[in-house]
Amino acid sequence: MKYFQPHSVEDALEIAQTAEATFLAGGTDLVLHMRTGKVQPSGIIDLGKVSVLREIKITDGFLNIGSMATFADLGKSELVLRNAYALWQACQTMGSPQIRNQATLGGNLGNCSPAADGLPPLLALGAEVHLMSAEKEEIVPLATLLGRTPLLGQETLIRGFCIPLKELKSGFAKLGRRRALAIARLSVAVALEVNENKVENVRVALGAVGRRAFLSESLSQVLSGQELNQEWLEKGVLEVQRIVREALGTRASAPYKRVAVSGVFREALESIITEGGIQA
Amino acid sequence: MIEINLVVNEKPYTLNVEPSERLIDALRNRLGLLGTKEGCGEGECGACTVIMDGKTVNSCLVLAAQANGSVITTIEGVGNRRSPHPVQKAFVEVGAVQCGFCTPGMVLSAKNLLDRNLKPSETEIGIAMSGNLCRCTGYDKILRAVKIAAEEGAK
Repeated sequence: MKYFQPHSVEDALEIAQTAEATFLAGGTDLVLHMRTGKVQPSGIIDLGKVSVLREIKITDGFLNIGSMATFADLGKSELVLRNAYALWQACQTMGSPQIRNQATLGGNLGNCSPAADGLPPLLALGAEVHLMSAEKEEIVPLATLLGRTPLLGQETLIRGFCIPLKELKSGFAKLGRRRALAIARLSVAVALEVNENKVENVRVALGAVGRRAFLSESLSQVLSGQELNQEWLEKGVLEVQRIVREALGTRASAPYKRVAVSGVFREALESIITEGGIQA
Repeated sequence: MIEINLVVNEKPYTLNVEPSERLIDALRNRLGLLGTKEGCGEGECGACTVIMDGKTVNSCLVLAAQANGSVITTIEGVGNRRSPHPVQKAFVEVGAVQCGFCTPGMVLSAKNLLDRNLKPSETEIGIAMSGNLCRCTGYDKILRAVKIAAEEGAK
């Protein structure tokens, strides 16, 4: 197996074009998969020394997150806290401190586990993904990218994520078997805009209820353009239960998750709805 | 084989490692630092915790090559019998060690917390130690030891 450790994006793309090799981000999934034999790459392009990929910054109305920003970096970032609250929340509970220090947001997408904690918040927040290869550069909505099979070409690098700055209120919650280190059994991220007393552009994303995290069109329709009150919340609960029932079908976890999702959905909204109404 | 440079416990090393070799393997087999334990081998238990560039990582999930250019602290670099680290002292005093297999990782997570935060709250201690499992003690004494070490250190 060949091992490459480029120091720039350009070098990484050139190696990817010429060598049969897999990108290595933090390694918390890939190193394990190599060991169990689940993947056997003939080469590795370690992105750990490409420091530009770790940047978290604001440019042109977007929060730009480099693919190699770790969950710990994101969970400590003021910019993420202020502009992508649901993502910030997800970064507090993903894995353990050791995993968060190593695991990256780009790796979370590249590995694309059904239970990936980073993806529902990114979907709800309307994130776009910046992809690069030696021949092509593309910015594609995450929701569109997740519909592709395979997700990425072998020579395609996840450069980073762009989250539009739209003053969204957002929240995330997950159900795990315990607080730390738990793989999400179910996760919900919500983002919405508040216009006076009405909520607009409600986006709800679910994780661990299908092959990949997804945005729910129907929840968007049912919940957008309405007054935020108890009735709204209950309508959301019924609809989210219906979606989970549909998505899971006869799977063994279906009866459990169908009920559990109502609690996770309410929890994801906790940071948005306070007792006095919408949080300022 | 790839050539990598590491500083481990303040000593510089140049090693030739296999691309698929994990950091834990390099530490144990090439440098003979057997204090770093392999528990689950899949990032769940934290027994293999080391401090890499100021951050705790599971050395079973890091390739040795990824650590190229890094500064690493293993349990051997934390203290010894004659001059134990305050965390080690507190672990012994409280009786936070039973079989001892998780202890090196526990001590490194606690040391790393206290390096960054002189006066951690109980919640902060809980979060910092959440990636280390112990199957003997029930955690109470471990958390108490970290608290005592913090109080000692803050004096």
